[in-house]
Amino acid sequence: MNPKRLIALTRAGIMESLQFRLGTAVTLFANLIYLVLVYYLWKAIYDSAGTDTVNGMTFTDTMIYLILATALFNFLEMFVVWDMSRSIQSGKIVLDLLKPMNFRRYTFWSYSGSHVVLFALSFLPTFIVVMIVTHGAIHMGINLIWFIIATVLALIVNFNIEMIVATLCLYTESTWGINIVKETIVLLLSGASIPIAFFPERARDIVEYLPFRAIYDVPLTVLLQKGGSDELSGLLPLLGLQAVWAISLFAIGTAFWNYSVRKITVNGG
Amino acid sequence: MENAIVMKNVCKDFKVLNRHEGLKGSIRDLFSRDYKTISAVKDVSLEIKKGEVIGYLGPNGAGKSTTIKMMTGVLEPTSGEIIVNGLVPYKERTKNSENIGVVFGQRSQLWWSLPLIESFKLLRDIYMVPKKEYEDMLELYSSLVDLEPILHKPVRQMSLGQRTLSDILAAFLHNPDIVFLDEPTIGLDVSMKAKIRSLILGLNSQKNTTVILTTHDMGDVDALCRRIVIIDKGTKIYDNDIEHLKSYFGSYRTLHLRMADDTWYDEVIDESKQDIMEIIMTKQKEQKIKDIKLEEISTEEVIKKIYEGSAAS
Repeated sequence: MNPKRLIALTRAGIMESLQFRLGTAVTLFANLIYLVLVYYLWKAIYDSAGTDTVNGMTFTDTMIYLILATALFNFLEMFVVWDMSRSIQSGKIVLDLLKPMNFRRYTFWSYSGSHVVLFALSFLPTFIVVMIVTHGAIHMGINLIWFIIATVLALIVNFNIEMIVATLCLYTESTWGINIVKETIVLLLSGASIPIAFFPERARDIVEYLPFRAIYDVPLTVLLQKGGSDELSGLLPLLGLQAVWAISLFAIGTAFWNYSVRKITVNGG
Repeated sequence: MENAIVMKNVCKDFKVLNRHEGLKGSIRDLFSRDYKTISAVKDVSLEIKKGEVIGYLGPNGAGKSTTIKMMTGVLEPTSGEIIVNGLVPYKERTKNSENIGVVFGQRSQLWWSLPLIESFKLLRDIYMVPKKEYEDMLELYSSLVDLEPILHKPVRQMSLGQRTLSDILAAFLHNPDIVFLDEPTIGLDVSMKAKIRSLILGLNSQKNTTVILTTHDMGDVDALCRRIVIIDKGTKIYDNDIEHLKSYFGSYRTLHLRMADDTWYDEVIDESKQDIMEIIMTKQKEQKIKDIKLEEISTEEVIKKIYEGSAAS
């Protein structure tokens, strides 16, 4: 692995993302509308509940969680599946396969630049606004470092899920359906649209151990110091869960990809 | 001379699902295990020397792209052996990629929204080209083409000609031993075609790069290739110098005679079978000949004859 290549790819990715200024602005605007909707929806839920805390979360807790989840979603969202299915259909994938680099690594680092840009343009401003508005609801300390580590692990888990679904595209000619299913599952089970604390107990027991939670719920839990993550004994299992999924999904993804590429080179694409 | 590419008895079969007609057929296809095998390339052997420019020709669907994909390592041959730069391409695709460059006519490997120079820098880092070599290469490029108008232009704003030119430059950037050009002049105007041909020739002579060129434009072949390989229905049907081509399939020439009544009499003559003088004599007995023209048959016409001939057989 040569760091020069990875830096060069990241650099190009940053420059490419910056070309689409308008796109970023529109995304931010759309999020604002989404958040207004979320605000009134949850306000209604809390009003009708009659108590200040529902499932151990106050209205403010829920709002902070969901706003940051949306910000995190914008920053972590990847379009590997779309891009890959398009390049399979156009045949451009041949050109990517003929780069003198491991294909999965090449793909990952082609996206890293856009993550950097979205982190700076989308996540950071949201985070700062939330911080100012809630006056100190977010603790400023070591949890920020744990949050960054958790986010990097989340990124790896997310990429590997994307990549496994993208590999499926090598077999099916229609990607749209598969991708919608994947997106819905990830959004629901990761805590990006409903905090996992609100899930029924049985469902929560299962969801807690699934990889999707590692993408949004774990980084946010760590950041907001919920679920005992302000102490190492609560924190390490969370990061451990992420690490285990990151490693196993990476292994599964690599094996699946290598097998599929071999099949494609045998049968033609 | 050293061989850049060696292919020995290479075959490539594809398995395709037998599709059925209509809605009922489509539903049946969902569960069908009814495959048929299509042989895209049949027993092709080929040796390409270092520094050669080879025209790889054949009608649409003849198996040209399949062969190129096997040489680059994207496809694995069903049987036979391919060695490219001493490597087995499909086994060491990544390593093989370091020594080859590719241009696929209508697709671009450049970064769409970035200026060309950024794509060059990125490719330089990806292929780990030493600084000195990179600078020398850019210098060579600017001596061959006018880089100024394209170097700082985003690729998406380029004309097709500029983009193709840029893609060819990008493929040569890491000074590969072999460059595959798959229909590089498709859709280009006459002057751009000429520019691209002289660029390819220039790079080939300066860097001794082996060039495998597939094209349907006989102008490309006449301008660039000394040797051509023709493949049809997966089988190699010709592999020799371009000069031999015309005589190989009969030494054809067209005879035009203007007769006394000002009508033209045209005949395509295979000189190995017919004698031109004899035809003129016979004709002269019928009528007085006012004018005689003898035309060499063009490469294009020979190729057309070959394609049509093999399609009929």
